[in-house]
Order: sequence, then C-alpha cells, then structure tokens
Amino acid sequence: MTEVEVLSVIRALFPTLMALSSLALVPLIRLWRGSQRDDAAEYATVGVQLLLLATSIGAVLAGPGYLSTLRLGQITIDPSEPGRLLVLLGGIVFAVIVGAGEGRRAGTMGQIALCGIAAIDLALAAPSGIAPIALLLFASLAISGAAASGKDDAGRARAVFRDLRTVSLLLPAVVIAEILRTAISYAAVDASYATPASLAAGTALGVSLVLIVAAGVFPFHNRLIKIFEALPIVGSLLVGVWIPSALALIVMSELSALASSITDPIGGAIVPGILLAGAATLVFGAVSALLNDDIGEIVGYLAVGNAGWLAIAAAAALQSPTDTTSRLIVLPGTLAISLFGLWLVSVRRRYGTTSISELGGWARHTSAHGITLTAAIVALVALPPGAVLAARVNLLLLGGNPLIALFAVIGQILLIVAAIRLLLVGFTPQSQTVHEAETRPFANLITISLVAGSIFVAAAAAGWLALESGGTGPLPPAPSVSPEASFDPAPSFVPSVAPSADPTPSVTVSPEVSPSVMPSGGGEISPAP
Amino acid sequence: MPSLEVPLVLIAILAGTLAVTSAGRGAWVALTILALSSSALEFSVADPNRIGLILRLSAIGIGLAAALPENLFDRDALRRDLALRTLIGTLREHPVVVASAAAGLLLGLVPLALPIESSSDALRAAGIALLVVGLPPLLTSRFIEATTRAAVVTLAGTMLLRTSIFGALDPLTALAIGAGFTCLLVVGGSVATRISNSEEE
Repeated sequence: MTEVEVLSVIRALFPTLMALSSLALVPLIRLWRGSQRDDAAEYATVGVQLLLLATSIGAVLAGPGYLSTLRLGQITIDPSEPGRLLVLLGGIVFAVIVGAGEGRRAGTMGQIALCGIAAIDLALAAPSGIAPIALLLFASLAISGAAASGKDDAGRARAVFRDLRTVSLLLPAVVIAEILRTAISYAAVDASYATPASLAAGTALGVSLVLIVAAGVFPFHNRLIKIFEALPIVGSLLVGVWIPSALALIVMSELSALASSITDPIGGAIVPGILLAGAATLVFGAVSALLNDDIGEIVGYLAVGNAGWLAIAAAAALQSPTDTTSRLIVLPGTLAISLFGLWLVSVRRRYGTTSISELGGWARHTSAHGITLTAAIVALVALPPGAVLAARVNLLLLGGNPLIALFAVIGQILLIVAAIRLLLVGFTPQSQTVHEAETRPFANLITISLVAGSIFVAAAAAGWLALESGGTGPLPPAPSVSPEASFDPAPSFVPSVAPSADPTPSVTVSPEVSPSVMPSGGGEISPAP
Repeated sequence: MPSLEVPLVLIAILAGTLAVTSAGRGAWVALTILALSSSALEFSVADPNRIGLILRLSAIGIGLAAALPENLFDRDALRRDLALRTLIGTLREHPVVVASAAAGLLLGLVPLALPIESSSDALRAAGIALLVVGLPPLLTSRFIEATTRAAVVTLAGTMLLRTSIFGALDPLTALAIGAGFTCLLVVGGSVATRISNSEEE
C-alpha cells in the first residue's frame, strides 16, 4: 500500500479509526490506573473527550473531497459533506456532554458517542442501495444495547427490546421500497402493470415509514419517549435524534430523486398524510412537554416536536424535489435538542433529581446551567431570524395546506413556551434540593466548556455560523441489479442508468470535486425502447 | 449449486418454521441451520469471491456464540430435543405456522405482480415463506428469545426476497447486513439475560 493510499484510508475512515482507538484506550487507562477506579474514570473521560475533539478536527481537515475517497476492491467509501458536518458538530457536542455527565461510566458513554458518530459518517459515505439505511438502523440498535448495559434495569432492557423489534420491522419496508423503486423504470414502458406514480407512492411510503418510525413521529412517538426515559443521555441523543437525522438526510434525498423522476404527482394520501403526521407530532410533543413535570420526559417530548419538523420536511421533499430547504432544518433541530440534552444531564448531575417541583431556583443557583438552557431556547427559536427560520417558513409554504401550517406554527410556539417554562422555574424561590446542592466556582474547566460549548452549538443551530448541510445525493440503484446476477433470463427491457442532473445539490460548495458525487439514475424512468 | 437450490430452500423454510415454533435447544439448532442454508442460497451465484458468504457466516457465528444459552450442547438433552418425533410433535402443535409457511411457499412461486421478470422463483418462495413465518411472532411475541429468533428469520427472509430479484449483496451491504445479524443476536441475548436477572432480584 502506497503512502497516498494510506493517507486516503485515514481521511476516509478517520471517525471510525478514532472510535476503534477508544475501544483500546479506555481499557488501557483502566489497566494503567489499576484499583483507583474514580481516578481511572476521570482519565478515561478526558481521554474520550480528546478523541471526540480530535474526531471533529480530523473531519474538518479530511473533508468530503476527492482525496478522502477510498476504494477497497468493490467497496467505495466516499465521505459526504453532511456526514462530515455531523461529525464536526457531533464531536464537540458529545465531548461537552460527556464532560458534563462525569461519573464512572462517562468513558463508556464517550466510546458510544464515538461509535455512533463513526456509524453516521460511514453511512453517509456509502450511499449504495440499502447499505446506509441498514448500517444506521443496526448502529442504532447496537448503541441502545450498549448504552443500556451496565446495570440490570428491566426498564432499560425493555426499551432496547422495543428497538430490536422496530429495527427488524423497518428493514423489510426498505427492501420492499427498493423493489418497487426498481419496478418504476419498467412500468413506464409496460402499461399492463401498475403506473409509475402508484409505484412511486409505494416506494415513498416505504422509505418515509423508516423516517417516521425511527424519528418518533406521531403515532410512533412512544419509542422515542421510552428511549429518553430509559437510556443515558448520550444513548438517547444518538438513538433518538442524531441517527434519525442522518436517516432523514438519506430519506429526503431519496424522496427528492423519486419525485423528480416521475411526471405525474405521487398518488394517494402520502403527502397529506406525512404533513398531517408532522403537524400532529409538533402539537402533541409541545402539549405533552407543557403537561409534564419531569425534565427528562420534557426533553423527550421536545425531541418528538423536532421529529414533527422532519416529517414536514419529508413531505416538502416530495412536493418540491428541487428545493433544498427540507435538508436545511435537519442539523439545527438536532443541535437544539442536543443542547436540551446537555442541560438535562448537567442539571441531573448537579441536583440529583429530574422533578420540576424540586428544581425551583436552579438557574439562580447555577448560572452556567441557565446559560446552557438559554442557548438551547435560542437554538429552538432560531434567533435572530435568518436562514433556519426562513427554511421552516418555506417548508410550511411548500406543504400547501394553510390549516396544517397553522397547526405546525401553534405546535412550534407551544414547544418554545414549554422550554421557557423550564427557564422560568429556575428563577422561582430556591427549593430545598437546590439550596443544599454544592456549587462549583465558575472558573472551572467543566463549567467553562459547558458555557462555551453551549454558545458555539447554539450559534451553529441558529444559523449564525452559516453551517449548512445538503443531501447525500440519491441512492444509486442496487449494484447487483444487472441481469447477470439473477437466476432467470434477462429482463426483456433493461433500463438505462444515464447520470442525471443532481436534484439535491449541496448548498455548500466543496472546492474539490469528488469523482462519485454524480448521482446515478436510481428510480428514474428510462425512455421507451 | 443450482441443483442444491430446491433442497436448500426446503431446509431453510423448515428450519425457519422450527426456529419460531420450538423452544430451547431445538429452536437454536434450527436457527443455526436456517442461517447456514439461507446464507448458502443468498451468496451461491453472484459472488465469485465468496467474500459475502464468509462475512455472513462469520457474523452469524459470532452472534450465535454470544447468544446461545448455557448447557445447549448437553448430549442427552440434544438427542431428546432433536428427536424426529419431538420435532414433528412441535410442528403438529403449531398448525397455523406450518400452514403459513406452506402458503408463503406457494405464494412465492407465483410471479410478482410487478414488471420485474428476472426473479428466481425458488429464492422468492423461500423469502416470502420466511417472512410469513417470522413476521407474526416478531410483532406479537412477548418473549425476548422468541422475538430475537423471529427477527433473524424475518431478516433472512427479507434478504432472500431481495436476492431473488437483485442477486447477491455487494461487499459493503453484505458487511452491514452481517453486522445486523450479529447485532440482533447479541443484543437480543443480552436483553434476555438482563430482564431475567432483574426479575430474579
């Protein structure tokens, strides 16, 4: 292997290499520190935090360009711009969360975060057939299993069991969608079968189902709530927010490609159904967040509200395939919920409770936590008004239904009210629990990183830093769809796979040109023979 | 290999049916046979390097090694649980599942109502039969081990259905799906252990 090839391996697989390093690093630290378990845990925490930050820096340096493309035989790993952006911000977010969480298992949580980030990067770098979706679904299951380990808690185990069932049911849906998508090309030239529009509707339903279930859109919100109730915050955020966001990017690109490949509008009630589910999710999440008194559950319901925006964005991708707005809201939403997660873990660690009634005056007692929640609210509102807010308004306009748009707006306002309520509780008279809690001096590494990290992430989420992510490009057809691979005689008509214009351009321009960014004609209709 | 296709299909369907109807040793042995036969069917034609088959078998081997319950290989118990009479008795106790498998097999032999002509009848029949057998317990079972086995049966069926149309998986997808098999088995086994431990406490 030449030096250039070694460098391309490192650039393409950097997050994966960091995740693998952490699997060796933490046991080595524990071995080195011996029986001093608290001491070993502190060293392990610092070790994984450094690896998380190194992953962020490495992702920025390696980038998604041509030099980072790796070819190993038939396998191509081609890091994408949204994938590298998720790694950049994910590394920083989880480094701060792991630091704020402290404790004996902080090192393990850091390892889990590194593995989750690596899986997201790898999935968005391998847009071939069902591989990226399968990779993300199974990574989600593995992460929930790992995050729930450590103690024999039946609640945690049942949450993982629910995830196992969900993942096992989603994969057949993806494969059926893939089969229907392949049939679209053939149906266009043979009137005796289903129409391309109806096959596209079936494909859209199958692919959307993956997003709706994985993200926790109503009526599948219960999975997300149970995840936030049962799993540690790193596992909850990865399984409930970050991995669904990566799935959303893939699904939206696929839906855009699908909608742009047929001339008729996609039939059935697919688009109105997804729109309605999105608006209902926003309202349901917001009302539930307002009615709950447990901050863990409130953050879970805020994540449900964010899932509502993902569903609305998916519907918009189907309605207007050339519009990239749908993909712009994914990252800000992910970062906003991560900030709420950061606030949750730091407050829970400091006060040892998640009940609002016991947290009166928390913001006056620990102002750093107040800054974190304020940053989270700024990220949720997307202030000052800019690209993120404009993207949300545009999505509602693309939906084309004023009533659903009104519901979504009401839901978003109620979500903000629910978040502000948490902040207001912090300024009420101090409860006994808060009064007795120890405080740390503000000039402390953990506190400084908490405040600085919150402000940075809020700035990214609200659009101040102009960090944007485009789609991954449509999934190409299954590599082995050629007639030689099948048992039976070749089809009477072989669709052409001529490259088409990219319907989902990335909004940030990479200076380097990747040789494999040109999308293939997945799901496109070929001319009649 | 094509001459072995029909026997392998029948073995896979029978093993899948036993994996969701039996308990204990019989079910795990049936699951192992299902994994081997479905992998051989999936990667028999279009994978000259056999890398996909090696990946799949390694993944399932690791998963089974982690998930198999203790005392599985007790010789007397194995002989008793795997006796032909016991297996037939198990199938007779679950006529609905057996009928579902047969119906799935017949349904799979009917050509797809889609304009895809290059599809293998035998693989499609095996895939649909395994999906029909695996999905109901996956949706309804409250027992973790049974759900894990149903998940593996469903995933094997899904992959066979896909293979019948698209051919064998590319190496990266084979790696992802192989990891999925391992993940299902390891996580299922670990959840079952934790729930039984917490119930004992």
